[in-house]
Amino acid sequence: MGLPATVASPAATSHQRPAGLASWLLLAPMLAWLTLFVILPTIVLILVSFGERDTLGRVVYTFTTENYIRAFEWKWLKIFATSVWFAFLTTVICLLIGYPAAYFIGRVGERWRSLLLMLVMIPFWTSFLVRTYAWINILAHDGLLSAVLQSLRLTAGPMSFMYTPFAVVIGLVYNFLPFMILPIYTSVEKLDGSLIEAAYDLGARPIHVFTRIVLPLTAPGIAAGVILVFVPAIAMFAITTLMGGGSNPTIGEVIHQQFTRARNQPFGASLGVLLLAVFIFSLWLTGKFKRQVET
Amino acid sequence: MKKNLPILCWAAALLISGCGKTDDTLRLFVWSEYVPRNVIEEFTKETGIKVAVEEYSSNEEMLAKLLAGGGHYDLIQPSDYAVQALINDGQLLELDHSNIPNLSNIAPEFRNMPFDPGNRYSVPWMAGFVGIVYNAEVIANPIVGYRDVFTPEHAQRIVVVDDARELVTWALTAAGIPINDVSNENLATVKPLLRDWLSKVKVYDSDTPRTPMLTGDTDIGIVWSGEGARLFEENPKFQWVLPVEGVHMFVDTIAIPKTARHKDQAEQFINFILRPDISKLISDEFPYYNPNMEARKLLSEKQLNNPASYPPGFDITSAEIFSDIGDQAAAVDELITSIKAE
Repeated sequence: MGLPATVASPAATSHQRPAGLASWLLLAPMLAWLTLFVILPTIVLILVSFGERDTLGRVVYTFTTENYIRAFEWKWLKIFATSVWFAFLTTVICLLIGYPAAYFIGRVGERWRSLLLMLVMIPFWTSFLVRTYAWINILAHDGLLSAVLQSLRLTAGPMSFMYTPFAVVIGLVYNFLPFMILPIYTSVEKLDGSLIEAAYDLGARPIHVFTRIVLPLTAPGIAAGVILVFVPAIAMFAITTLMGGGSNPTIGEVIHQQFTRARNQPFGASLGVLLLAVFIFSLWLTGKFKRQVET
Repeated sequence: MKKNLPILCWAAALLISGCGKTDDTLRLFVWSEYVPRNVIEEFTKETGIKVAVEEYSSNEEMLAKLLAGGGHYDLIQPSDYAVQALINDGQLLELDHSNIPNLSNIAPEFRNMPFDPGNRYSVPWMAGFVGIVYNAEVIANPIVGYRDVFTPEHAQRIVVVDDARELVTWALTAAGIPINDVSNENLATVKPLLRDWLSKVKVYDSDTPRTPMLTGDTDIGIVWSGEGARLFEENPKFQWVLPVEGVHMFVDTIAIPKTARHKDQAEQFINFILRPDISKLISDEFPYYNPNMEARKLLSEKQLNNPASYPPGFDITSAEIFSDIGDQAAAVDELITSIKAE
């Protein structure tokens, strides 16, 4: 989607050569990939969202706006709001934990840096489902956390943390935290230390150094991290089902249900298109925020 | 555009699948947690036929993928109402019974099910019931029916299967309405009852509802009998009760879709799983109600005395079976989703 702009911009700026045949050839695999796996599926999704279905759940291609009208009914909006709320909480917590962690990793000595980065990446070596099941063992009624609290005599009996909104947010934060740490780390690593020193030499207080120097320079990392966490967190369904016990349906779960059990792909597709619109809007918003901080 | 779309999709699919190559692998599209690994290995060892397995977790998921085409599945495992829907739509191949002599091992009451009289298109795989499981060490009150589950004392101690049609069925049964009568009026009638019941549920889980029972997060639940049987195997404190208001029985089958490429091998596989020793292997791993009478003779006392697998003194012909509800599936799903979101 942002593609035509990136292709066109070299031509538009005077100090670069216009995109010739060679550049297009080099771009061809990428363009083919985008067409096949992003643009075509999106077109199919949009076509299906205006369709109807037969009794077995097959899509009948007609033109009806009924799916969209239905999507704006209060019950679906409420579910959507819940999902955005979960994603928002996840993003904020990820940022609060991830920023200091990324800053520390970025400023620590070379020797420690690679080890710490490795520790951030290690969880990716197993499937997120396996890691989510591990959390179930920790948070369950007869689980690890409950046992620890009891042995410390902090609670009288066994206590369950599973199947609550709290568990959902823990599951989301745990799974998305690396997506916040890594982009912020890249920004922090590029941060020029002499700028901070100069600020102190000129009498700035730590708080001002942070808000005027560090924060603006790491803003691109924050923006990337926020997008990488917030966008997939809204649509996530496997973790929310497993950790939440299914009693607080999220929009991802509802879309999943429409494509499977409810036999209503057109309605699922219309919810998907609306979700896509929200993603594009949040990308635009972050882009705007990024530009504002940078100038 | 309407005309071009299938061509467009077809072209894309062709590109992805590498120009629709044919091979000699038997392609199974089956329920997750239902076909033991050793059964498939044994089949390949005896016949030399390679088997590829793909899994689904609901009939609708299977229908969606099957009807989208491209999968070329040779065998599928639709449940009762899905068999009916597929037959009505001409999606199943008629079975050649001379290739499936072991069909005679199936109990007579399963040979003439209303969704497929005479097993023309499908062969029963396993049957099961939906019933109540509870931890007798914690639950003191006598439990006989659905209404005993959803009492204020059990609030937030309950697990149920995450299946909209199933949840609606319990409320319909409790209200004395036949379970296949899912008209909008009947759904409206049971809505208040469902709203009250679901407000007390802690966990919805169709895949492994036994998990929260084992971890102690829930003490009572309404689950598939295979899950109840496994809990009973684990610890006899997990008691099993068939609801007094009425019992829903499901019959999962194995059938050949019309797009199959290896009908002979598929029938060979069906005949294979109907062999008593093989059918026993399935029962060993997934303790549902086995309709194969010859295989039943091979089961241990312990297996046969599991009240969830083989409910003592229960006349299975009194159980109700789902028929296809078509369009109303979406209404049923919407009802449950909107109650959950309240």
